Amino acid sequence: MSTKPRVSSAIPGEAPSFGTALAHQPGLAGAFGMLYGTFWSKGALDHRTKEVTRMRNARVTDCGY
Amino acid sequence: MTWLKGAEGRAPFDAALGLRPELRELYAAFYGKLWDDDLLPASLLELCRLRVAQLHDCESELAVRHTEAGVSDEQVAALADWPGSDLFSEQERAALTLAEKMPWQHHDLTDEEYAELNGHFGESGVVALTIGVALFDANCRLRLAFGTEPAPVEAPAPASSEGPIY
Repeated sequence: MSTKPRVSSAIPGEAPSFGTALAHQPGLAGAFGMLYGTFWSKGALDHRTKEVTRMRNARVTDCGY
Repeated sequence: MTWLKGAEGRAPFDAALGLRPELRELYAAFYGKLWDDDLLPASLLELCRLRVAQLHDCESELAVRHTEAGVSDEQVAALADWPGSDLFSEQERAALTLAEKMPWQHHDLTDEEYAELNGHFGESGVVALTIGVALFDANCRLRLAFGTEPAPVEAPAPASSEGPIY
């Protein structure tokens, strides 16, 4: 795994991050934000269930971010 | 056999997603935008989509072909052993390296391989490609989790945010 960011920040003045990397593709980033935001703000599952599965998925994929 | 009973008259995967209509629409918009906006050559995306599906052994995803994407039958036949084939360009080989590792070996992608991707596609292009391969990976995981049955379809145009999900 890389120890340094491979993609620069597309937002001047902000450090490289998941969000600033996606910002290189504003259209895709916007579509992702709509989907992900709706998943969290609405739907059939409670927030606890969503957060537990999110954290477990991050563990399984060994994603320290 | 799928354990989900989805909306009638749609392809099985679309029918399953249709059980959550709002998420289905936003998913289609996200997935379709990758193809609609000419961010990357359709043939490149199609090769990556099919290779990721092969790695997942996802018959449901492999049953879909975008015939106007510009991938030849010979390339599809050679895709499982693409490193040993001369049918793929250097640009395609760089993209397929990403597709090869994202599903099961995502920690093994090296800085050198990512730098080569940057050389071929530029930073915005490589972000689009990485999102695309992640979406192809997600598609397979969704189909396999849903137990979506394969429904062979030759969709002339690649996926679109305006059309059905196959």
